[in-house]
Amino acid sequence: MAIEDKCSLCNEPAVIRGSENGTRLCGSHLVLDLEGRVQKNIAEHCMVSSGDHIALALSGGKDSTALLLFLHHLQPAWHGVKITAITVDEGISGYREETVMAAKNLTEHLGVSHHIHSFSDYFGDDLDTLLKGHEQRACTICGVLRRRVLTEAARKIGATKLATGHNRDDEAQSVLMNVLRGDLARLVQDSSSGSPGSFLPRIKPLLTITEREVVTYLFVRNYCTDLPECPYTVSALRLEIREMLEELESWCPGARDALIRSRDGMRRYASSLARSGALQVCRECGEPCSGEICQVCKILASLRH
Amino acid sequence: MQVILPDKSVRTLPGDPLPVAQILMSLGIKPSGVIVVKNGCLVPDDVLARGDDQIRLIRIAHGG
Ligand SMILES: [Zn+2]
Ligand SMILES: [Zn+2]
Repeated sequence: MAIEDKCSLCNEPAVIRGSENGTRLCGSHLVLDLEGRVQKNIAEHCMVSSGDHIALALSGGKDSTALLLFLHHLQPAWHGVKITAITVDEGISGYREETVMAAKNLTEHLGVSHHIHSFSDYFGDDLDTLLKGHEQRACTICGVLRRRVLTEAARKIGATKLATGHNRDDEAQSVLMNVLRGDLARLVQDSSSGSPGSFLPRIKPLLTITEREVVTYLFVRNYCTDLPECPYTVSALRLEIREMLEELESWCPGARDALIRSRDGMRRYASSLARSGALQVCRECGEPCSGEICQVCKILASLRH
Repeated sequence: MQVILPDKSVRTLPGDPLPVAQILMSLGIKPSGVIVVKNGCLVPDDVLARGDDQIRLIRIAHGG
C-alpha cells in the first residue's frame, strides 16, 4: 500500500481525505473525529441540556440517519435526555415507502421510540395529490408543510428541542440561495431559539459535517443503503449551487465555512436591531406568524385554486 | 480495470495507473458527487487505480 493510501494517524488504509487540511483518515479515526465534532457543536451552542426531550426529524435518508446514530451514541453521557424520532410521511409514491421503512427499521434496531405523521392526517391529502399542477413549486410547498407537521408532532409529545440533520453543505447552499433570491429576511432568520412565537428551539448538530463525511460515516458503520431519490428532486437552483460550491471549495478551501460565518455575522447585526412588525397569529389556523395569514395557510389556499 | 457506475452499468478501461478522480472525469463523472470503493474498500478519490482494480461508485444522494 502506498504511503498516501494510509490514515494520517495510524497504519490503516484511509477512507477519506479532508478537503481543507488534506488529513487522511481511516474508518475508525473518521468515526472518532466526527463523533468529537458533533459533541463539540452541541456543547459550543448549548444544543442539549439535562432533562431535554429531543424530537429528531428522521426522514430515513442519509443525514437524519447519521444524526440519530450520533445522538444515540452521545445520549448515555447526558442526564435524563430523551430522544423521540419523528418521521413525516408526505405521501410521495415510489419514494417515501422505502425511506419510511428504513426509518422504522433503524429506530427498532436502536430501541428509539418513533412516531410517523402523514400529510393526509394534517392536510387531508398526500403530497402527490396536493401538488397536482403545482409540481414546479414542490420543494417549497413540501418544506413549509413538513415543518408544520414536525412542529406539531414535537409539540404533541412535549419535546423541548427539534433536531434536524442539516449538514454543512445544506447550510452553505441555503446561504447562497437566500442571497441570490434577495431574501434577506430568511437569510438572517435564526431558528435556533425557536421560530417566532413558538418555544421549540431547533438544533442542527451536523452543522460542521460535510455531506461526504456523512455518507462515508454511514458506509463505515454499515448503514449505507441505496435509497431512491425524491422524484420531485431538489430545486434546480439548489442543485446548481451545490455543484458551484463543490467546484469553488476545490480551489478555495473553506469557502462554505466562510459563507456560513458571513451569515452568522449578519445574524448578530440583525438581532441587535428592533424586530419590525409585531408577532401575530394566523387568521385561519391560529399559528404564530408575521403577517395576517401564515405560510401554510397561504400555500394550502393557493393549491385549492 | 472495471468501473461500476452508480446506475450499476460497467465500463472496462485500460489498466494504466491513474488517480481515481482523473478516471472519473474522463468518464464525465464529477468526483464530488460520488464516494469511491476500490476492490471492496472505501478510498479517497486521489488514490491510484491500475491493472485489474475494480472501482465501484456510490452516488452521494441529495437531501435526506
Ligand atoms: Zn487511523
Ligand atoms: Zn395559518
